[in-house]
This record gives sequence, C-alpha cells and structure tokens, in this order.
Amino acid sequence: MENTIKIKSRSVWSDAWDRLKRDKLAMVSLGVIIIYAVVAILSATGLLAADWDQKVGESYMAPTTEKISLLFGTDIFGYSVLRKVIHGTQIAMSVGLISTLIAIPIGISLGALAGYFGKWIDEAVVWFYTTFSSVPGIMLLMSIAFAFGKGLTTLYIALGLTSWVGLCRLIRGEVMKHKNREYVQAATAIGAGNGRKLFIHIIPNVIHLVIINASLQFQVAIKSEVILSYLGLGVTGQPSWGTMIDDAKQELAQGVWWQLAGATFAMFFVVLAFNILGDALRDALDPKLKGK
Amino acid sequence: MLLSVKDLCVDFSTQDGTMRAVNNVSFNIEEGKTVGLVGESGSGKSVTSLAIMGLIPDPPGKISQGEILYKEQDLVKFSDAEMRAIRGNDISMVFQEPMTSLNPVFTVGDQLSEVLMLHKNMSRKEAWEKSIELLNKVGIPNPKHSVGKYPHEMSGGQKQRVVIAMAIACEPRLLIADEPTTALDVTIQKQVLDLMLELQDQYQMGLLFITHDLGVIGDIADEVVVMYKSNVVEHNTTSKIFYQPQHPYTKSLLACRPSSDHNPKRLLTVSDFMDAQGNPLTPETSKMEKVEKDFGYDEEKNPVILEVNDLNLHFPIKAGLFRRTVDYTKAVNGVSFKLRKGKTLGLVGESGCGKTTLGRTILRLLDPTSGEIIYRGKNIADLPKYQLKALRSKMQIIFQDPYSSLNPRMTVAEIIMEPMILNNIKNSKKERFEHAQWLMKKVGLEPEQLSRYPHEFSGGQRQRISIARALAVDPEFIICDESVSALDVSVQAQVLNLLLDLQDEFGLTYIFISHDLSVINFIADEVAVMRQGEIVEMNTASMVYHQPEQEYTRTLLEAIPRGVPKDE
Repeated sequence: MENTIKIKSRSVWSDAWDRLKRDKLAMVSLGVIIIYAVVAILSATGLLAADWDQKVGESYMAPTTEKISLLFGTDIFGYSVLRKVIHGTQIAMSVGLISTLIAIPIGISLGALAGYFGKWIDEAVVWFYTTFSSVPGIMLLMSIAFAFGKGLTTLYIALGLTSWVGLCRLIRGEVMKHKNREYVQAATAIGAGNGRKLFIHIIPNVIHLVIINASLQFQVAIKSEVILSYLGLGVTGQPSWGTMIDDAKQELAQGVWWQLAGATFAMFFVVLAFNILGDALRDALDPKLKGK
Repeated sequence: MLLSVKDLCVDFSTQDGTMRAVNNVSFNIEEGKTVGLVGESGSGKSVTSLAIMGLIPDPPGKISQGEILYKEQDLVKFSDAEMRAIRGNDISMVFQEPMTSLNPVFTVGDQLSEVLMLHKNMSRKEAWEKSIELLNKVGIPNPKHSVGKYPHEMSGGQKQRVVIAMAIACEPRLLIADEPTTALDVTIQKQVLDLMLELQDQYQMGLLFITHDLGVIGDIADEVVVMYKSNVVEHNTTSKIFYQPQHPYTKSLLACRPSSDHNPKRLLTVSDFMDAQGNPLTPETSKMEKVEKDFGYDEEKNPVILEVNDLNLHFPIKAGLFRRTVDYTKAVNGVSFKLRKGKTLGLVGESGCGKTTLGRTILRLLDPTSGEIIYRGKNIADLPKYQLKALRSKMQIIFQDPYSSLNPRMTVAEIIMEPMILNNIKNSKKERFEHAQWLMKKVGLEPEQLSRYPHEFSGGQRQRISIARALAVDPEFIICDESVSALDVSVQAQVLNLLLDLQDEFGLTYIFISHDLSVINFIADEVAVMRQGEIVEMNTASMVYHQPEQEYTRTLLEAIPRGVPKDE
C-alpha cells in the first residue's frame, strides 16, 4: 500500500457535508444546537447553574441587568429564572438524546428485518407497528408514565418507545427497494450471505435517512417533554421548561411573564434550529434531490 | 429557414467554477428536413436541444452567447410566457424514456386531450375525438379502445408512439427527438423511426434528431452535426459524413460500431483515431483485419463446462380473493444448450423474452422450477443455498446498468476486494490490495483510482470496475447481461474489446446477453435466439446471420439500422 498516490476522493458523506456547509442557515442552526449541547453538558457536570435552588433575591423580581443571575428575574421562591432555564436545557437535551437513542435501534432493526426478509417477518412487524401506532401517542405516554411512576427515566423510556414507528416504516420501504438493486444482486453473485448484504451493503445506503429522522425526532422529544411536564406527568422536583410553563399559569395573572418567556424562548430556538437542520440534512443527504 | 442556431454558447456554473456545455454551435434546419445531432453523453447535444426549447434550468445554466432564430425571431430573447406559447405548439419534443414522459395516473386519452385543449382551445369532446384520430395515425391498434388505457397497460414501443402523438398533436413546425429509440428493441426502433419519417413527410416538419449512434441516423438524416466535448467538430451532408468523414472523431464513431457484414479482430475506438489533445492518428491496420471465426472446437481444449437441460422457470399468476394460482408466466420454458470452455454464447431477443431471467437462473440468483443445470458434471439446479457459495467463485455476472450495480457507499478498493474476502482468495489485506491494483490495470484503469467512489467515474469506467469485481474471484465463466447496452457506442467498443482481450488472456467463457444483434455477432461464437421463454434458433454466429432459419430471426436482422445514408 506504500506506493499508492493519495488522491482526494469524495465519499457521499463528504459530498453531503460540503453541500451542508454551503447552507448558511443550516450552519447557524448547527451552531445554535452546539451551544445548547455545551450548556447542557456544563449543567449536567455541575459547572453551570448547579445552584438553581439557591435564593438570589426576593420573590418575583423583574428582569434586570444588575446581576447575571437576575437577567431573567426570579420566581416565587426567589430562585434565578436564568439558572432554571439552563437546568431545563439539560433536561430537554437529555430527553431528546436518550429517547432518540432508544427509538433508533428499534426502528432500524425492525424496519430492516421486515424489509429484507419479507414474508411472515414483514407481516408480523407491520401488524405490530400498525397496532402500536393506532393507539393515540399521548395515551400511550400517559399509561407508561402511570405504570412506571413519574420521573426522568420514565420520560426517556416513554418517549423512546413511542417514537420508533415512523423510522421503522421508512427503513422498511427503503430496504425493500434496495434489496432488489443490482449492486445487492452482484453481492449475491460473489457469494455474500444475508448478514453481509444487509449490514455492509443495504444499511449504509439507507442510514442517511436515520440521521435526517433523528434530527427531527430530537425536537419532537423536546416538545413532548414540555407537554408531559406541563401535564404533570414528567419531571418532578427539579425545573424543566415544561414545569416552568406550568408554574406560569398562575403567575401571568399577576403580571409575571418572565418565567414563561424564558422557557418558551429557550424551547423555540432549539426546536427551530433542529427543524432547519433536519430540512438542510435532507437536501444534503438525499440523493434523489441531488440536483443535476 | 425554419430554425437557425448561431454561435450558441451555454454555460453552467458548478461548485468548481463555470463550465461551458455548448460552445459556438451553429446549424440550420429547413422545413421538411432532418438534421442529426450526434455525440457521446456529455458532449452537449441534449443541452443544445433544451436551449432551443427554452428549457435550460437557470440557475445553474445560462445561454451566454448566440441566437436561436425560429422563423426569424430570436427565441433567446423570449419571455417565459412567450416561450410557453411556442413550446408544444410550434416546437415540440420527444424524450428518450417513454416510461417516465407519460403521467402514470392519467389515461393516454386524458393526456392527449390536455395538450389539445391547452393549445388548440378544443372542447373536451372534440379533443377526445382528435386523440383517437392521432392514436390511429401513430399506429396504435384499436385506437377507440386504447384511448382509455393507462400508460402501464401499454408496451414500451406503444408508449413511445403515444409520446410522438402528443408531440405532433398541434402539428408543430419543428420536432426535436432526443434519443427517442435508445430505450427500445431493434424491431420497435425500426417501426418508430419509420413512423417519424412518415409523419415528417406528411406535415413537412423540421426534425432535429439527437442520438449517440451514427448507425441510427444514417437512414433518416439529411445533414449530420457531430458534437464532441461541447464543440461541433464536423457538419456536413449525411453521405459526406458517412463516406468522406474529415474529423478523426467522426471516423472513430463510424468505425466503432460492429456491423454484421465484416468482423474485425478488435473494434477501433476514439483513441485509435486521435490522441488526448485531439491530434489525428492513423489507426493500426492490424486491428481492422477481418477474422474468420473458428467455430470448430477441440474436445481437449474446449470441453463442455455447462450443460442446461430442459430448464424451466414459471412464475405463478395469482388472482382472486385467496390469491390462488390461476396460470403461469413461462419466463424460461424448456431451454437446453451446451457451453464449451473458452467460447462465447450469444443470447439474443427482445425485451421480455426471458434472456435475463435465464442468465440469472443459471447463476441460481433465481430458483428454477424444473430442469438441470450441469456444471462440470454436477447438477446445481437444486443445490441448497449454502452449498452454492463454492460455485460463486466459478461463475460471475456483469450487469447492464453501471450506475446501480456498484454500491455507492463503498470505495472501488472495497468493491473489488469484497469478493476476495468472501471467497478466501489471497491471504492478507496487503495481498488483496495488490491483486486489486493488478486487476485495475488489467481492465484499463489506474490503480491509484482505487480509493475513489463509483460516482466519480464515467459509465464506461464503472463497467470496467464491474468487470474487475467479476474477475477478482478468478471465475471460469461470466454472464454478461446487456453489459454494454447502457453505454455510448464509442465506449461500448472499448468495453467489447476489453472483454475479448480478457477472454484471450484468461480463457474465459462468456454467455453474452444482448438485444443488439450486431454486438452479438461481433462477440459470440454461437448464437441462441430467444422468444417468449424459448430458444427458437441456435447456431454458429455466421449461420444465424447469413442463413437464418426462422422467420423471427429474419425480422430481427432486418430491423438492424443499416447505417447507410438514406439517399443511397
């Protein structure tokens, strides 16, 4: 291999990355997401906003620029709203990440098995997910939350277990399409077995869909966390964007708007960023849209 | 003058800068005359036709210079609305792929009526009546019934006729046909060409016929414009182009197509006529030497390695609520033949005749219904899947479409090394990589290109990669399934030469499947003509070509474009 001359070669991935880099809005969104991620990590490691349950002033102080901790004002206990928003970021990002990490393996494996092997396996998987998805999502979430008790772990599991169906459908269809492509037949002709055809040939050709799907799944999970916590089925004992919005119900009547505003804006930017990035990823990765 | 293109330049902006797709192209078309625009893919011929139609996507494309005068008006300066009025009405177009140029959810009558209602302000009823008349004109059987059919209920040739009917619905003055017959079988191609000529004669239209194959154009064009790398390299009357070609590229286009009456040892290609800078070269005469094929065989040297006996593959047709089998499609029906080592069997027939299915059944990519496939004395027809692996290194296949037969996510090195890993050929990664480098050289590619991905190669180069992959396991015989059909004629000649070189060097045995009789005649020793799942005629290549026994074979032979100017 020593005598090989290195030629700059562009894989489908580096091509896609080049296309993504040229999309300014997508890069800004990626930047926003990275900032949220960094904030979440700092908060999780206790370097940022670990003291959210410390009083920083009187109850319901309006936002002021005097102290950083008072930037978004205080809540009923005199806790800093900014610190609560930061802690909420940690909750939101971890819910997004972990529930997506649970949903993706289920979606890929069931979808790939059904699409590749067909016959009774396909029928079983299709039966399973049609039955599963015919139950309203929020009902399923609520029943899981009631069954396992409230808390973060329940949220991860509940959101993870209810969001794999879309990906599974998508992967099943794509795998079905690819298994009849000539490059897969060529693999059969050189003696490749089922495992090799599925894992080495087909899955790398559909994995870009997983990335697109994951970026959209992430923000759905964040929104679901907020809704569940608002309904009192999610996070307890610590601040999250959902519980903050829940608190704001009573506060708004007294003219206290900052807790609602803080949580809402924090959620708005990250959800928007994930949506824009998801669309940009689709343009960059989906070969069908690749302009000729 | 109906249409006059003057100094047309079209630029495309890409990520690597501006690329000129069409450079200073000029030609004229008179009423009732046909101009052929010939060139390989990427030569700018289709872009020229899109420029005339005002269909250049902007951005990234742009007409940077020149005029397109239609009846003395410059189409380049027309607004979108003005162009829409011209398009379909005065100038219309027939595309290559009849499968995708018709909308699958509407009947052909709906689609024809739409054109008429839009451009001729006809009522729905008038348009419907006119549609039936048009279908009759383009030779669709039983037009009153066919007008209500959906595109998928028609054959490829019929669909192309419908597309032509749509194009001539408004009696255009100029018809642009972009490779209208490339996707069709030879017999259908001939019918479609005849139809276009007849219609042109009737309406006195100007016709711009775009193709990569000079052979097709000879019969129909008055003038030929040859394009190469965005430029016009030669422009002359058809007979001058055919008998006194000036530019080396034109000469190579004429020489690279195999013809049925002379059989050279190797086909001449562009590189025999010009070097990379475009300077003319004198081709070596040794290549052009006519060879008499040796149809004899030697029991020692050419033993029978594959014997197929009464092979059947029937697909059940299921119908009704309980999906019961009501009938069978006999894709392969009682096929028997013998294949000798070092020889090539040509399998020829129209699309749907079962030749591809037969090829895949022999490789056991499909399971036969009954019959024997005896490879080296062992019947492999009912061998269980897990025992087939040992055979995979002996038999290989090269597919038709070089774009879908290579995994886009793997580098060329991974693609070529994969069969070695699967079949335990060579011991270490280093040895396999060296073998891959050696194979790249054998198929005429640079070993340095191993680190690249398939999409960075042209169609012909990709087909070479497929060949290298097939050779990686050191097979005894290879099935070439329409392996050159998707390539330009000039590239096709290079790949055919390569296959012959490899056969000489490694003593390979081929089953060569094609719908193109001239290609089969060039490469095959024995020819089997297939129709509806059966072999109707089988003989040595020269017997099939010069003394065909079956009427069907004769029809196929007569349909081959003669490649002779029409005024001869």
